Amino acid sequence: MIFERIRHPFAPSGQCGDSPNMELPERIVFEGARKQALETGRNRLMVTGVLFALAFVMIGGRVVELTLVSKNISERPPRLANTDPALNVRADITDRNGILLATSLPTAALYANPRHVLDADEAAGKLSQVLPDITLEKVRALLSSDKTFVWLHRNLTPKLQFAVNALGIPGLYFQQTERRVYPHGPLVSHVIGMTNIDGEGLSGVEGYFNGQLRGRQQALQLSLDIRMQAVVRTELAKAMEKFSAIGAAGIVLDVETGEVISIVSLPDFNPNNPVSAAGIAGFNRATKGVYEMGSTFKLFTAAIALDSGRVRLRDRYDATKPIRVSRFKISDYHAKNKWMTVPEILVHSSNIGSAKMALDVGTLAQKKYLKKMGMLSPAGIELPEVGSPLTPDRWRDINTMTISYGHGIAVSPLQLTAGVAALVNDGYLRNATLVKWVDDELPAGMRVISTKTSKIMRRLMRLVVRQGTGKNADVEGYVIGGKTGTADKPEVTKRGYGGRRRISSFVSAFPMTGPRFVVLALLDEPKGIPESQGYATGGWVAAPVVKNIVWQIAPMAGIEPSSVVEMDPKPGDVFYVAADGKRVSEQSSETRKKKSTASKVSGLETDFDRRLSDILSSTKEQRGPTVAVN
Amino acid sequence: MAIMPSRQLDLTLGQKLWQVNWGLVFLITVTASVGFGMLYSAASGEFAPWATRQMMRFGVGLVLMIIVAVSNIHFWLRYAYIIYIASFSSLIFVELFGSVGMGAQRWIDLGFMSLQPSEVMKSAVILALARYFYASRMEDVERFTYLMFPLMLVAAPMAMIIRQPDLGTALLLAVSGVAVFFLAGVRLWVFVAAGIAAIGAIVPVWHLVLLDYQKARLLTYLRPEQDPLGSGYHVMQSKIALGSGGIFGKGFLAGSQSHLSFLPEKHTDFIFTMLAEEFGMMGGLTLIGLYALLLIYGFAISLRCRHHFGRLLGMGIMTMFFLNFFVNVAMVMGLLPVVGMPLPLVSYGGSAMLTLMFGFGLLLNVYVHRDVYLGPGAADGNV
Repeated sequence: MIFERIRHPFAPSGQCGDSPNMELPERIVFEGARKQALETGRNRLMVTGVLFALAFVMIGGRVVELTLVSKNISERPPRLANTDPALNVRADITDRNGILLATSLPTAALYANPRHVLDADEAAGKLSQVLPDITLEKVRALLSSDKTFVWLHRNLTPKLQFAVNALGIPGLYFQQTERRVYPHGPLVSHVIGMTNIDGEGLSGVEGYFNGQLRGRQQALQLSLDIRMQAVVRTELAKAMEKFSAIGAAGIVLDVETGEVISIVSLPDFNPNNPVSAAGIAGFNRATKGVYEMGSTFKLFTAAIALDSGRVRLRDRYDATKPIRVSRFKISDYHAKNKWMTVPEILVHSSNIGSAKMALDVGTLAQKKYLKKMGMLSPAGIELPEVGSPLTPDRWRDINTMTISYGHGIAVSPLQLTAGVAALVNDGYLRNATLVKWVDDELPAGMRVISTKTSKIMRRLMRLVVRQGTGKNADVEGYVIGGKTGTADKPEVTKRGYGGRRRISSFVSAFPMTGPRFVVLALLDEPKGIPESQGYATGGWVAAPVVKNIVWQIAPMAGIEPSSVVEMDPKPGDVFYVAADGKRVSEQSSETRKKKSTASKVSGLETDFDRRLSDILSSTKEQRGPTVAVN
Repeated sequence: MAIMPSRQLDLTLGQKLWQVNWGLVFLITVTASVGFGMLYSAASGEFAPWATRQMMRFGVGLVLMIIVAVSNIHFWLRYAYIIYIASFSSLIFVELFGSVGMGAQRWIDLGFMSLQPSEVMKSAVILALARYFYASRMEDVERFTYLMFPLMLVAAPMAMIIRQPDLGTALLLAVSGVAVFFLAGVRLWVFVAAGIAAIGAIVPVWHLVLLDYQKARLLTYLRPEQDPLGSGYHVMQSKIALGSGGIFGKGFLAGSQSHLSFLPEKHTDFIFTMLAEEFGMMGGLTLIGLYALLLIYGFAISLRCRHHFGRLLGMGIMTMFFLNFFVNVAMVMGLLPVVGMPLPLVSYGGSAMLTLMFGFGLLLNVYVHRDVYLGPGAADGNV
C-alpha cells in the first residue's frame, strides 16, 4: 500500500491523496526557488537512500564472509601473552615426601654503565661501604673502565638493594634475577648438584634435569628421603672421623623399585657456597668413583656359581693352602686351612675358595653374568657424574680368579648396590633411579638369576652376619644379611698393591625374610684403632655403620622388628658352617662319608693344577696388578 | 499562507488510529520479538532477568509510540525547542548529579527508573533541527551565518556527551546532524570543508579529548589480534562466535561461545553475535533484512510526506536508527571499533528502547500527518 503511494511523492496537495488512480506527468516540474529546493531535497533523499543500501550490502557481505569464509579465525592458535623471561623461575626440587631440597629466590643483580657514572671514585667509595664483599679497588677499576656494562654484584638481598638505591649513584642499574638456594646445605650436595650464576644446572640432578627444571612450575620430586639421607650422612661422617678415613660413600636402595633412598659421598660441600665444591669435595664417590670392591664381589661369584648349575651348595673346595700364580699368591685373610662348602667360603670370606669356584664356572659364564648384573657398563642413574667400570682388556683365567674376590675389576658403589639388590629381590636387575616411583606397577626389571638362587643368596648373606665377618652389622629383629669387603688400593706411584691403603665396605640387605632395602657403607683408607683391635677391615669399620643406619631408618620405613627366633643350621644342613674350633680332618671325613663330593673335589684338584700351569705359562704378558690378598 | 487546511488535523482519535501505519508497527514488534528470544537465550533459557523486563519496556514503549503517533504534529513543531532545552538541561543535570555506571556518568536516577539523557537528546536534536530547517528557503541555507545556530544545536549536546564520556553517542549525534544538514539542502562545499576540518582536528582530539580506554578501542579496532586477551578480546571472541555459527547456526539456546561466557556483553552490545552463532548466517541476514525493511518504510514515509518538517524529522530519525544499527553490527563483526552501541530494538536496555519507540512514534506521526501543510508560521501556532 505504501509503495503505491510513494510513486508520486511530491505531488502538489489536492492533486493526489484521495485519487490515486489519477494520471500524473512523468516528471513533476516546479517553478523557481521552491522547485529547486524540492529537487535538491529529493536528490539528497535518494543519495542518502543509496548510501544506506550500500551499507546494508556491506554488512550482509560481512556476515556471509564471517560465517562462511573465515573459518580459520577460530582455528588460529591464540598468541601467548608476553612474559618476561628474566622472571621465569626454575622449578623446585623436593624429596619423596615433598621436603624442599632446592628452590629459587628472587634477588636483584647490580650492574653499571661506567660511562654514565659521573664520579667513579666517589661511587666506588660509597659502594664498597655498602657492599661488604667487594673491595674499593675492584669497584673503582670496574667503574673507571671504558665499557658500557659491568656486573658489580649478582645477588643482592632486598636490604642491600635498598641501600644501593639509597646511594643515588647514576649509572647503576638492577636486573631481576634469582638465586638457587639449598635449604639442606651439604646434606644433598652431590646428588642435587649446583647451578651456575645464570641459573643453569651444572652438576647432579640440577645438571641432568636442567632443561626440565627451567621451564616448568611443578616441583621435581626425587626418590630421596631426606631423613634417611641425614642418618646415612651422620653415621658415615662419624665412622670417617673415627677411623681417620679420607672419604666415604653410602647408598640406600629400594630393592623392588630401584629408587635411591639415600646417596652420600664424603667429603662433601655446601652447594650454597660453590667455592667449597672445589677439589676432591666435589667428587661423587658413590656414582663417579670406581673401586676394586674386594670380597663383596664374592656374593656375585657364589650366585653365578649356583645359578649356572656348575656348583652346588654342598660342593667343597680345598682352601688349605694358598694358590701360587707366577709371582703372586692368592691366600686367605681369615685362613681356616680346610676344605670349605660354598656357605663356608662366604662366611669365612675365602679368596682361595672363590677363585676355585670361579674357575669351575668358567671365564665366559662369569663375564656373561657380570654383564647382565650391570658390572661392565656404567650405572644407569639420572646424574651426569657416572663412572665407567674398569675391566680387564683381556679376560683370562687369572682375571676370572681375581675378579671372583673383587680385584682386577673396579665398579662404582652404585653398580655394586644395584647388583646386590638383584641378588636378593628374586633376581631382577633394575636401573637405580633418583626420581620417585609413582606407579603402582613395579618397573620392568631384567632377570639375572633365578628366584631359587636369590632365596639361597639371602640365606647366605644372613649367615655371613650371624656367623661370619659381618657380625658387627647385626641388629636384633631386622634380620640383616650382607657381605664385608676389604680391598687393597693399588699403588699410586708403582705397580701392585700397597700394604695399608684399603677400601673397606659392607653391603647388606634387610630384612632377609623379605628384603626392602640394600644398604652400602664404604670407607676410603680407614686406619685401624685400638677399639677395633687395630683392624680396619670391612667387618670392623663398615659393618657397624650399616648397623647404625639400619636401626635408625627401619622405623622410618615402617619396618617392624621381627620376633622370630633364628636357629643356626645344624651339622648336615647344607648351610651348616663348622665352628672354627673343629678340626679339618674330622669335618671332611665326616662329610666324605655321606656325600659323593670327594671324588669331584679331588678331580677338581687335578683339573685345577693342570689349568693353573696353563695360566702360569701365559702370565708373562699379564699387565698391571691383578692379584692381591684378602 | 495556508492554501488549504489539511483534513488530517481534523481527524478524530479513531480516524487517526486507523491512519497509523500498522505494517510498520508490526515490523517493529517482530524485530523487538527477535530481541526477546535472544535475551531469553542469553539468560540460558530463562525469562528472568532480561527478557521479561524488556517485554514490559517494549509494551510501555508501544503505548508511548501510539500516543505520539496520534498526537497533533503542530505540538511537536511548536515545542521542538522547548523539548530540546529540557533535554539539554537534563544533560547538564547528569553532569552535576548523575550517578556513575560502568565508568561513565550517563544516568539520572528518577527513582522508578534510570534515564539516560543522552538517548533523549538524540531525538531532541533531530526535532530541533527539523524545526529550524522546515521553512528555510534556498537562499537562507546558502548563507553560512544561517547555519551557525543549528551547528550550535548539535555541538552543545555533543560537547556535554563527550564529557560524560560517551564517544559513540556523540559521534552518532554528529553524523545524524550532518545528515539533516545534507537533507536540508546545505551546499556540498560546506561538507567538504567540514570534512577537511574534522581530519585536521584528529590530532588535538586524540591528545586532549580522548581517554585512554577510547584510544585503546580505536587502536584495537585497527589490529585486534595484537591483544587477544585485552581490549581485542571482545572482537576476537565475537568473530570466533560468528564463524562458528556457520550457515544455519548451532540452534536456539545452543551457542557454546555465548553460553560459556566467552562472548562478553551478550545481552547488550554483542547480541547480534549471539544470534548469528545460534541461527547462523541465515539468522543474521534475516535480522539485517528486518532492519532494511524498517528503513525502507521510514524512507518511504519521508518521501511520501508533503511537508519539509516531516521529511527532515523522518529521515533524521531513520538516519539515527540506521547509524545505531550499522555501528553495532559493524562493530561486532570487526568493521568498526568497539564503541559501546547497543543494537536498536533488540539489545537489552530501557532508555534506548523508550527513546527508540518515541522516535518511531514521531515517524508514525509524520505518516499520519503526511499531507498536512506546515507553512513558515506553523511553528508559532498559525495553522
